[in-house]
Amino acid sequence: MHRDLMEILVCPVTKELLELVVEEEAGDEVLRGHLYSKAIDFRYPIEDGIPNLLPPEMQAADAAEGSDAGA
Amino acid sequence: MSQAPSESQPHDPAVIREAVRERYARAAVRVEEASGGASGLRLPDPARDLPLVDLTPAAAGEDACCGPSGCGPAGGDAGCAPDQIGAVAAFYRQADTADLPASITDAALGCGDPTALAELERGETVLDLGSGGGIDCFLAAKLVGPEGRVIGVDMTDEMLALAARNRERVGAANVEFRKGQIEALPVEDASVDVVISNCVINLSTDKEAVLREAWRVLKPGGRFRVSDLVLTRALSREEARSMAEWTGCVAGALHRDAFAGALAAAGFADVRLRLGAAWRDGVHSAQISARKPG
Repeated sequence: MHRDLMEILVCPVTKELLELVVEEEAGDEVLRGHLYSKAIDFRYPIEDGIPNLLPPEMQAADAAEGSDAGA
Repeated sequence: MSQAPSESQPHDPAVIREAVRERYARAAVRVEEASGGASGLRLPDPARDLPLVDLTPAAAGEDACCGPSGCGPAGGDAGCAPDQIGAVAAFYRQADTADLPASITDAALGCGDPTALAELERGETVLDLGSGGGIDCFLAAKLVGPEGRVIGVDMTDEMLALAARNRERVGAANVEFRKGQIEALPVEDASVDVVISNCVINLSTDKEAVLREAWRVLKPGGRFRVSDLVLTRALSREEARSMAEWTGCVAGALHRDAFAGALAAAGFADVRLRLGAAWRDGVHSAQISARKPG
């Protein structure tokens, strides 16, 4: 995920801007980290450069069903 | 997670969503394997990951969009169904796709060529709803150039992984993929010039939300340029109840008038639907365009 896309990335629930926390990056590309939604206190994970911006309840459903393919 | 089907609500939306995700995950894995990629993608185990239930005995064993007789225009081999390959030859201009690797073109599961419809200009920001293996994103990326950008949203991990690999293969630095729901877009208001999508909106169980979100993220004057299947007749009871028809893009397709009406209700102007080839009697691919006033 490119840092310069941050400006149009929002929380899918509140539509408010997210706070980027980088754990690993290569150049301008964020490979791992998360996007923090302050309003709902939720961290959207960034893995392999792809942010997971499914709404939190869908992420919970994903986890419950173990559909973690692609990791 | 499944509810007992009823006459009015044959399938629970969550069941449909999982069926769609499983089917397109399978397609992504198949394409990646065919292209020889050491992707590490895991083929979903249908028994564990999803009971892909076809509740219609008459249609059992026959995929909606790709039965033995084939599907797509005039019985051709094109289609939105991921079990078949050939949409590129049917829908895209050869010059546009000639330089794309098979892992992109083989994953083209649409029913049209939205980027050809979109009249993209350099520097524009494009959002692709249900970006799959990424073909429409990469075509759009060429047109908007390095100063433009393209964002693909998809909910299927395997497709996102395939798209990310394809991005590396073609070096499209101005394309980004993110996991998300097209009914709840993680995109700021009024930030996008053009929304494109290729045979995906029919798969959504909440099309009003999709169109409302598309309208929200478009800038004033922004364009909605979409290929999708639409109906010109009512579905039969069997079609409407078949999960294979859902994942094969037919059972969830809107009647053309309903699609146009939904766009108008969402606030779009200049709504146009142009019917293309018949998928089967009363089921057509369509080029759908609209504009956010402003």
